[in-house]
Amino acid sequence: MKYSQSLLTGLLLLFGSSAASAHNPVFSPGPHVLFKEGIEVHVSLDRDKVGQEKETELGLELTYGLTGDWAAGIELPYIKADDRADKARGTGDGRLFTKYRFWRDDSLGVQESAAVLLNVMLDNGDDKESPPLGSGTTDTLLGFTYGYESLKWYRWTSLRYRRNGENGAGLRRGDKLLLDFAVGIRPTPPSYLRPDTVWLLELNGEQDQRAELNGAVLADTGGSEWFISPGIFWTQRNFAIKAGVQLPIASDLNGSQAESDYRAKLEFEWHL
Amino acid sequence: MKKSILLAAITLLWSVTLFAAGSQYSLRIDGLACPFCAYGIEKKLIRTEGVESVAFDLEKGVVKVKVGEGVVFTESQLKRLVGDAGFTLRSMSEQPL
Repeated sequence: MKYSQSLLTGLLLLFGSSAASAHNPVFSPGPHVLFKEGIEVHVSLDRDKVGQEKETELGLELTYGLTGDWAAGIELPYIKADDRADKARGTGDGRLFTKYRFWRDDSLGVQESAAVLLNVMLDNGDDKESPPLGSGTTDTLLGFTYGYESLKWYRWTSLRYRRNGENGAGLRRGDKLLLDFAVGIRPTPPSYLRPDTVWLLELNGEQDQRAELNGAVLADTGGSEWFISPGIFWTQRNFAIKAGVQLPIASDLNGSQAESDYRAKLEFEWHL
Repeated sequence: MKKSILLAAITLLWSVTLFAAGSQYSLRIDGLACPFCAYGIEKKLIRTEGVESVAFDLEKGVVKVKVGEGVVFTESQLKRLVGDAGFTLRSMSEQPL
């Protein structure tokens, strides 16, 4: 039971590790990077349900623009987990992240760009709690993202690979591959000081490898899930609100596992 | 005599006002696809000494920057500033106010 809880916690923590900031999709990263010497304060609320297990996460994220194309930051989550048998709350695994936009093509009202990103998920969360609040491992995620933004239409795609570490009990969660597609539309032409709304629709795919315990493969782990994710991005000048919900549309999980019910996200973002 | 003093005072006031009016830079910037992202340009410009106001026309990709008297920007300065905000300066022009 404890191992399945650890796996669940790891999956849920990954949900919050998309580095989805600035004018990017809600559930996946985009190539947009904070301006040089800018500071982004980001507060997010995530709610996930998988079978009988629920988790709510409050995250505080701080990002700094190192150059016009390179940003880095830290995220500190506070988690409340409930698996019906037990409840726990406390600090989750922190995350260090960086994104570098290596290509950008600007024209009138259009920006097309691509970026690479790196996340390191720390092991500071309490993995002794039940349900565990941390994974007990240091994990890394490497990703690529491309985006096209215009005054009317948006489109993004991203590919990420997460390499998970092994915890003190010999459990190694399977590595994860994530593939995302997103489109957005702005119904009303933007004006700089007026509120601006963009509607989003994402398709998010996740493929998990099986977990291993001291080298032995665990049967009821791994598999794939696809989500359709409507969302909204509302901004005014340097303040943004993003919200969305991920709804499962297809899953192929190995062995006996509960499928995801939903994931919801609400974010507030200030650029200073 | 009084008339001459008054005329001189008006002329002096007019010339001071004209000299203090500063100028306006019109920047054609590529990549301006959303107001939230454009904030970086405002922030960078407004922090620059001598800049009095910044106005955006996103559809035309134009940013108008009013500066005080004696403030002069070179194209390379503005190109770097706009680049640091994550965009591309296509062209610029300056007009006295």
